[in-house]
Amino acid sequence: MKTFDVLIVGGGIIGTNLFSLLARNGVKVALLEKEDDICGLVSRANSGVIHAGYDPRPNTLMAKFNVEGTKMYPQMCKRLGVDFVSCGSLVVAKKEDKKKLEELLNRGKQNKVPDLEILGKKDLQKLEKNLADNIEFGLFAKTAGIVSPYEICVALAEEGVLNGGKVFLNFEVKLIEKQENGKFVLSNGKEEIAAKFVVNCAGQHAAKINDLAGAKHFKMNFVKGEYILLDKAEKGFVNRPVFPLPTEKGKGILANITTHGNILLGPTAFPCKLGDTSVTLEGINKIKQDVLASVKQPNFRKTIKLFAGVRVKSGSDFNISRDEKQKNFYYAVGVCSPGLSAAPAIAQHFLHLLKEDGLKTKKIIVKKRKPYTNTEKLSEKELDKLIKKNPNYGKVVCRCENISQGEILEALNSPLPAKNIDAIKRRLRPTMGRCQGSFCRPKLVKILSDFYKTKEEDVTLNGKGSEIVVGNIKGGIQ
Amino acid sequence: MNFDIVVVGGGPAGMAAAYSASEKGSKVLIVEREAKLGGILNQCIHNGFGLHYLGEELTGPEYADVWQKKLLKTKAKVLLSSVVTKIERLGDRNVVVHIKNSEGVSKIKTKAVVFSMGCREKPGSAINLCGTRPAGVFAAGEAQKLVNVHGKLVGKKVVILGSGDIGLIMARRMTCEGAKVVGVYEIMPKCGGLARNVAQCLNDFNIPLFLSTSIVKIVGDKRVSGVVVAPVNPDFSFDLTKQKLVKCDTVLLSVGLLPEIDVLNEFNLERSNVTNSVVVNQFYQTKIPEFFVCGNVLHVNDLVDNVTVESLEAGVCAANFAKTGKTTKKPIEVKLDKNIRYTSMKYVYKNTGSVTLCFRVSDEFKNAKIVAKSGEEIVASVFKPVVRAGQIEKIVVDTSKLKNDLNLCLEVA
Ligand SMILES: Cc1cc2nc3c(=O)[nH]c(=O)nc-3n(C[C@H](O)[C@H](O)[C@H](O)COP(=O)(O)OP(=O)(O)OC[C@H]3O[C@@H](n4cnc5c(N)ncnc54)[C@H](O)[C@@H]3O)c2cc1C
Ligand SMILES: Cc1cc2nc3c(=O)[nH]c(=O)nc-3n(C[C@H](O)[C@H](O)[C@H](O)COP(=O)(O)OP(=O)(O)OC[C@H]3O[C@@H](n4cnc5c(N)ncnc54)[C@H](O)[C@@H]3O)c2cc1C
Repeated sequence: MKTFDVLIVGGGIIGTNLFSLLARNGVKVALLEKEDDICGLVSRANSGVIHAGYDPRPNTLMAKFNVEGTKMYPQMCKRLGVDFVSCGSLVVAKKEDKKKLEELLNRGKQNKVPDLEILGKKDLQKLEKNLADNIEFGLFAKTAGIVSPYEICVALAEEGVLNGGKVFLNFEVKLIEKQENGKFVLSNGKEEIAAKFVVNCAGQHAAKINDLAGAKHFKMNFVKGEYILLDKAEKGFVNRPVFPLPTEKGKGILANITTHGNILLGPTAFPCKLGDTSVTLEGINKIKQDVLASVKQPNFRKTIKLFAGVRVKSGSDFNISRDEKQKNFYYAVGVCSPGLSAAPAIAQHFLHLLKEDGLKTKKIIVKKRKPYTNTEKLSEKELDKLIKKNPNYGKVVCRCENISQGEILEALNSPLPAKNIDAIKRRLRPTMGRCQGSFCRPKLVKILSDFYKTKEEDVTLNGKGSEIVVGNIKGGIQ
Repeated sequence: MNFDIVVVGGGPAGMAAAYSASEKGSKVLIVEREAKLGGILNQCIHNGFGLHYLGEELTGPEYADVWQKKLLKTKAKVLLSSVVTKIERLGDRNVVVHIKNSEGVSKIKTKAVVFSMGCREKPGSAINLCGTRPAGVFAAGEAQKLVNVHGKLVGKKVVILGSGDIGLIMARRMTCEGAKVVGVYEIMPKCGGLARNVAQCLNDFNIPLFLSTSIVKIVGDKRVSGVVVAPVNPDFSFDLTKQKLVKCDTVLLSVGLLPEIDVLNEFNLERSNVTNSVVVNQFYQTKIPEFFVCGNVLHVNDLVDNVTVESLEAGVCAANFAKTGKTTKKPIEVKLDKNIRYTSMKYVYKNTGSVTLCFRVSDEFKNAKIVAKSGEEIVASVFKPVVRAGQIEKIVVDTSKLKNDLNLCLEVA
């Protein structure tokens, strides 16, 4: 049986952070992920905001890990070679709501958030041109930023693999047993993997994993968040996340940017069932209406994508702990927003707990992750040189985001190779542009089938059951 | 390297423009992203191309072949598998075209550019298509490519959203390949495609067309398992009391085309809200005199024959300009009444011979009289027993009759 020191269940932002951290500390670690690629569920569909930390109630885990995690982001992104857009964030308010902004500011101070400031109309207008007319004040949080959450998950997982960690994809943990020697055995029904320590980072399924392990039982509820994504042509509509004042229900509908220059509007907050990421007309209309509380009319004619993520809640705080009953079992349950921001600090916390409980770490020479080539960011001279060395960088696969075959091949040869179309998309963005893949999807099917030497019928969008083409036409190719 | 004219895009529009410009004596380079000329025609293996212009019914690839042969007889140079990434205008007839291909990045100097990059298909999100996001949802043209070029079947039980021509043609194509097309759903009260395609692609195969009906949401986890459809009210909201689930494994979207105009984005040229493209004058020329635009990137054509005719003219205009650098001053804006959605050319000039204005109407009208007025005078008129929103109509105006304005109106007799 394959045996490790630590097994992590779930390859979202929490799991991948911990995976990379343990690997870099010389721990024999494996990440078990049920999907065909990491970054399964929540971590790929959120606002991508690294929150400053004024929002959570003081003295909660949320507040603690949020502020600590956010501090770590710029450095971590630099190390991984992914973008951290240091744009700050704004919460905007009407004249009569200035008091509520001050409350937020004070809460921020209690949470030890640096660089918070309330701005008046004049200063706001310098930052944002399209605020709603009745907006008079704004809380500017300088330390907030924007990241691409799935790119970070991928980068962390790759870094973990480069430093000796193992990733098992399509491994859905269905059974957890404790042997007499104290080791856990995790099984997907076919294969078994063992380890002394298990950390549950299974997101929406975290309560279930706790139950499987005989650890503390949690009740979870799910809240859907829908989004509208606009074409890059709308870049500049806002320049940072612009929030309305928060309510008990959450942070509200924001007007936001992505690291790639699109405009992102949302999320809604509707109770839903586990795994329900469908978009509703009701949700779309809600976004269109509510966003006007903070900004002018966005150009919805430039919509290129609708999507949704699911917030996972269990009580009013994160539940991040070692289990009291089940020795050497740890869990992160109900990691809702600001889970993305908090993730690096949560990973540090787990490392700390594991060490306390006897996990041995060792110094290794840490290998640095090599970011993917981005031909769009190269100067024409650099690009010309690259193409002369490798002509694949001159062959366009995605016309909207300008992605070459050379870049796609990097994703297929990476430390954690992309196995399906969505996995390539999360690494490099094809199918995410304004045509949403009608141009490049047929090309990607061909590239994947050539690379893995499978039939085109076996190429999937995101794992078994999501095949793109179903067979040959009657007459064969003309 | 220096050219008189660089043509961006080697579909039927680009080939025709390159051909006519070359015949006029210009030194022409045509740049095409794919490995062969022909554009969208290469995936349209059905026939019905060329009936009006060539007088015979050809398939798409055959029609492309006719023009490729004509083009290759001229001195025009062809650069394949190459993308135009950027355009720089340095001054009067001094333009640099940046090209990327597997040999590297190169820059080409030219006096004028003809833009003929065609269209891309609108994705479902652009029309607020809700529900899940599983495999099995294709743009109709994408499915057409997978079937006709890659030889792959995209599904077995198909729903088509939108009754544009590509959707209708794919309904027939999928049926011929043994798939079951359960229905074509159209949100408008009228079919978007040509009457001949409704007859030949749907009626002949007993495929139902549901008008004033649309998809509320897509259902399915990994692969599409169905769609929820419902009739729409006159204000286009759904009548959810009548919604129902239609089982299928594939959804094809034929919900409109958008011009592939990105290389022109940085120039702040005047745009049309109807075509989403830039606007041109009667010479297919934009406000930047070196830039000419034709084919589907200018406005979506129902028939390739129109594209050819229009683009042959655009090529000649570009050649004339490259030679003389002459531009005409004092444009007259073509004004439209509410029954006419757009004209392919927004500006015309006095005393420049006769000009053919292509336009689309906003609805179906019987006994329609289209009138071009200047001052108080009628300068041209056409009578049509019936005009439809999808179809392109034409009117020829003698510009020597123009005063200082031009108004296009549709009157119902
Ligand atoms: C709409 C929305 C907006 C948000 N915006 C922000 C924001 O702007 N800033 C911020 O900081 N946070 C934000 N969040 C919160 C943040 O996205 C989450 O806290 C974070 O992504 C949670 O990550 P995770 O790793 O816990 O879960 P997940 O990303 O869900 O990862 C869990 C993984 O476990 C896998 N898994 C599950 N069960 C099993 C099993 N049995 N075996 C193996 N693998 C399994 C899953 O496939 C998945 O890959 C937002 C959340 C939502 C929904
Ligand atoms: C999916 C689809 C199906 C159709 N079916 C029919 C039909 O059945 N019958 C009919 O009469 N009409 C049909 N049409 C309409 C038909 O496309 C047009 O009449 C005609 O093909 C348009 O010609 P075009 O040259 O303007 O565009 P296209 O044929 O689209 O050609 C544009 C060319 O430009 C190239 N290009 C774009 N950008 C660049 C760049 N930056 N650098 C280099 N090259 C570039 C593209 O690769 C492409 O080859 C269809 C259109 C579509 C989109």
